[in-house]
Amino acid sequence: MPDRTRTPDDQVYHARPLPVVGPRQGPGLASLLPRPDPARPARSLYVHVPFCYHKCHYCDFYSIVDTRDRQAPFVDRLVSELEALAPWSLGAPLQTVFVGGGTPSLLTPPLWRRVLNALTRHFDLSQIRAGEFTVECNPETVTPELMATLAEGGVNRVSFGAQSFNRAHLKTLERWHDPENVPRAWALAEAVGIRRRSLDLIFAIPGQTLGDWDADLRTALDLRPEHVSCYALTFEPNTAMTARWARGEFARAPEDLEAAMFEHTLATLRGAGLDRYEVSNFARPGQESRHNLAYWRQEDWLAAGPAAAGHVRGLRWKNAPRLDDYLRTGERGFAPVVDVEAPEPRRNLVERLLTGLRLREGVDSAAVLCDAAALADGAEDRLARAAAGQSGLGLLDPSRGRWRLTDSGFLLADSVILALAEALDAARRGPVGSRQPEVPQHAAEFPGERA
Amino acid sequence: MPDQTPHVRNFSIIAHIDHGKSTLADRLLQATNAVSAREAREQILDSMDLERERGITIKASAVTVMHRHRPGSAADDFETEYEDAADESGHHTTRKGESPDEHGDLYMLNFIDTPGHVDFNYEVSRALKACEGAILVVDATQGVQAQTLVNAYLAINENLVIVPVINKIDLPSARPDDVAMEIEQTLGFPAEDCLLVSAKTGQGIRELLASICEKFPPPRPPVVTQLRGLIFDAVYDDYRGVIIYIRVFDGALKVGDKIRMMGTGRTFQVTDIGKMTPKPVRVPGVGPGETAYVCAAIRSLKDVRVGDTVTLDSDPAIEALTGYQPPRQMVFCDFYPATSEEGGGPGFEELRDAVEKLSLNDSSFTFLPVHSEALGFGFRCGFLGLLHMDIIQERLEREGGVEVVQTAPTVSYHVLCRGQGPFASTGGQALKPVEPSSPFYRDVPPASTLLEVHNPAELPDGSHIIEIREPMCTLEIMCPKDKIGDIMKLCLDRRGHYKSQSFVSETRDLLKFEIPLAEIIYDFFDKMKGLTSGYGTMDYEVVSYKPDDLVKLDILVNAEPVEALAVITHRHKAEQRGRGLIARLKEQIPRHQFEIPLQAAIGAKVIARETIKSVRKNVLAKCYGGDVSRKRKLLEKQKEGKKRMKSVGSVTIPQEAFMAVLDTGE
Repeated sequence: MPDRTRTPDDQVYHARPLPVVGPRQGPGLASLLPRPDPARPARSLYVHVPFCYHKCHYCDFYSIVDTRDRQAPFVDRLVSELEALAPWSLGAPLQTVFVGGGTPSLLTPPLWRRVLNALTRHFDLSQIRAGEFTVECNPETVTPELMATLAEGGVNRVSFGAQSFNRAHLKTLERWHDPENVPRAWALAEAVGIRRRSLDLIFAIPGQTLGDWDADLRTALDLRPEHVSCYALTFEPNTAMTARWARGEFARAPEDLEAAMFEHTLATLRGAGLDRYEVSNFARPGQESRHNLAYWRQEDWLAAGPAAAGHVRGLRWKNAPRLDDYLRTGERGFAPVVDVEAPEPRRNLVERLLTGLRLREGVDSAAVLCDAAALADGAEDRLARAAAGQSGLGLLDPSRGRWRLTDSGFLLADSVILALAEALDAARRGPVGSRQPEVPQHAAEFPGERA
Repeated sequence: MPDQTPHVRNFSIIAHIDHGKSTLADRLLQATNAVSAREAREQILDSMDLERERGITIKASAVTVMHRHRPGSAADDFETEYEDAADESGHHTTRKGESPDEHGDLYMLNFIDTPGHVDFNYEVSRALKACEGAILVVDATQGVQAQTLVNAYLAINENLVIVPVINKIDLPSARPDDVAMEIEQTLGFPAEDCLLVSAKTGQGIRELLASICEKFPPPRPPVVTQLRGLIFDAVYDDYRGVIIYIRVFDGALKVGDKIRMMGTGRTFQVTDIGKMTPKPVRVPGVGPGETAYVCAAIRSLKDVRVGDTVTLDSDPAIEALTGYQPPRQMVFCDFYPATSEEGGGPGFEELRDAVEKLSLNDSSFTFLPVHSEALGFGFRCGFLGLLHMDIIQERLEREGGVEVVQTAPTVSYHVLCRGQGPFASTGGQALKPVEPSSPFYRDVPPASTLLEVHNPAELPDGSHIIEIREPMCTLEIMCPKDKIGDIMKLCLDRRGHYKSQSFVSETRDLLKFEIPLAEIIYDFFDKMKGLTSGYGTMDYEVVSYKPDDLVKLDILVNAEPVEALAVITHRHKAEQRGRGLIARLKEQIPRHQFEIPLQAAIGAKVIARETIKSVRKNVLAKCYGGDVSRKRKLLEKQKEGKKRMKSVGSVTIPQEAFMAVLDTGE
């Protein structure tokens, strides 16, 4: 499940009361979104499908086990939201679409056809076959009919959540699928002509040995994937996994073992021709996820569905996470919005370092230093010194006009990012975080103008 | 006002902490109608928030109330009950002292509240100097405690008449008879003389009021005609400047008089005289035996010396009253701004403002600017004791709005050096000799100098040092008999010398030790409390300075000595101390991107070492479109956390680590 445009605020099993969010709380997205830049309209779209059969214990993404059969109302609502969002693409052809979840493959083929039709109707998908249209699939739920429906609608890439091929470890994760289903789903995708296929794997599962992990990697490579995502198991707050660990059900993987697995992943996949292009993502040359690169390169993308998060010209927003809130139609068909962050030079620069340094390509050092210089006196020097310090520790490679993490730097990416981000702060006077940027009011009439 | 001149009684209430002193004071105020139940907030005399929160009194205040007493009677009436419906109706206005129907003589009761903690003995003794009597309050469930004795001795030394009161007799676990026997056993007051009181229910208050009038002597008659008033307290008020509290012994003072401070020679024009009832009430003047507050456009507490004598500029007295020794700061620590940048920054300026402002209303702490390699610019502050230090730190953060990094407390050492100096620390800082007038200036041979050192970083080069002397205390611990062995062991482990043991009651004894102050300022109190399940109490007084085999223990982080972590310790305990210290540091200092060696050393000799392993892996697995905001907020939080840390070379050390030195590693 490589692609997540959602945050973990809402889960089926937390008891804590959630804030009531709705269209009446503050301005809606229509009035917040900056007008699109005619030279650079949003060319990417994320769609979130929140349904799951069962909630896996490590997952902190928004999903619900739907017992009320709300899939059809959800699709109704999604279709109207896609229509409302469409003007921000300015009619330009979309280059990437990513449907994640939840379990998008849980939607029935008829409902899928409605979603795909709406996409075709409101957005220009004429170039998507040359671009990238990914759907996340649970190997258990893949059927020939579903694959055919997707392929027909332009989907050219699927991402399968395999996680592990070891039944014991799948059980620890409370992941309910039979590992035999992975090759089956893999073949079904190929049968309908979807050749770009990615696998998600998880390592550092409690009880997993380096040998177990190696076996999972080998099994994955046997499928000859173009793309693999390998995630160290993260104990996110408010997940069942974390609660079970806190109860003492199991011990977490020791740090040394986790580091060894991280290094072994790189060595093994690189040996098989899949190089790391992001901390947890590996691909054959040219097979990188273009949609995810858009996130990491701070490009613009639109977002639909509950808990989906979007980014346009420095502004970030997130849709209300609860399905019930989402189903209440917001202004002009938009979803109710929470967590709006207006463009702000310092924040945007920190984000650029935060996501950019996680990429093999790193960041353009001259451009980053130039932005730092504009922030505050001395920030450029401090940033350069901090980068030199990290380079001195062998964690950062400053050659060829870019800052790139070294292989050992990838293990400590967060420490490096923290060191650089701190350099931007050191000169700040006055209490930190006391000033929140104003939320701009934009383009209130924009869709109307077009109409 | 009534027809007669009132009889005057000046007295204090003294007690061990939490024995109900402030509640009793409030009850007396209510009983004399000075305060109605409705306006009586709990514990009126404690005015600072912090005092209220900690349940302790920091600043002494004086309150004056009027009361009717028929001489010879054993219990006084008072009208008001505590939950007065009369107040609700708005009709209840008759004040006791003004009632025309009253019988008996009019008494002016001046009572002076005292702090209850060991650190503030100095303030207790200066309050007692203004009194003729003292109410000694003892908790009926807890009995005589260490501070009960210390405070009682202070009062006895001032020749005060003492009325022992057993408080909290309403509690089911009260054992007033036993406690009365303890008082007789330890202080020699006959058990039957103890008054039984419940400040909570009001029981025994009538008898106590009668005793105050009957047993406490009137003020002595004037011996000279000129004004002589003892300054027993001074507080700073944002609007009126310094307000001094005086006890007039001779002569009289009125508004408009020009006063002269006999010690400093400074003069001020009196603008306001009044009494706290406990609301401030202006009076035209005060005469012999009375207490009052005086405003005289005094700008700063530095202009006033508590203990000084006030006289009239136009007709000055010849001889001043006997005052007090100035307070001695025994415990020292450094405060640095938590947010300061190198070379001093906004954090330092804010800290300086806060420290200066605080010193306006607490003249008993001292401060000097210091600079530390590790922590930048800050202040070395001196305190009366550990609690005083805690209070100052909290007030700096709360009232001054600055976050501070506090170093471990140390005591004031005396270092005997060869030659006449001048001497400097190894860091080049000039060192101050001990004043020859100090009671601790003794045994200084010719061609040598006794230096005062408040911090391990100030020690001069070892080749100059003849010996290091440290402050020694007499320590009194009152503890259950079955814990005596544990307490003995604790004190002997801390280089204490056993002095004596005396009987308090069937269950408790009083132990006396001589012990270095440095050994009890860390965690001694907590350990003692733990060993005695909370039943033990202690008090201490610094009595002398003694040489011992003391060494400076350096702590090196990543091969760099961190002055703020250095300690002075006994050579025999250095290794244990060093091990404990770096073990604590290992827990406190977060792992870095590289290995960090930690070492404890005496001079060039390393006596303990540890290594903080480097971080192996620190990278988020996922950072997709919807994760960016959350991950960035996480990053901001980490950065905030690091701001509370200090950099030593390339290592960041959290504030808590500087307190790790407190733990003696036992």
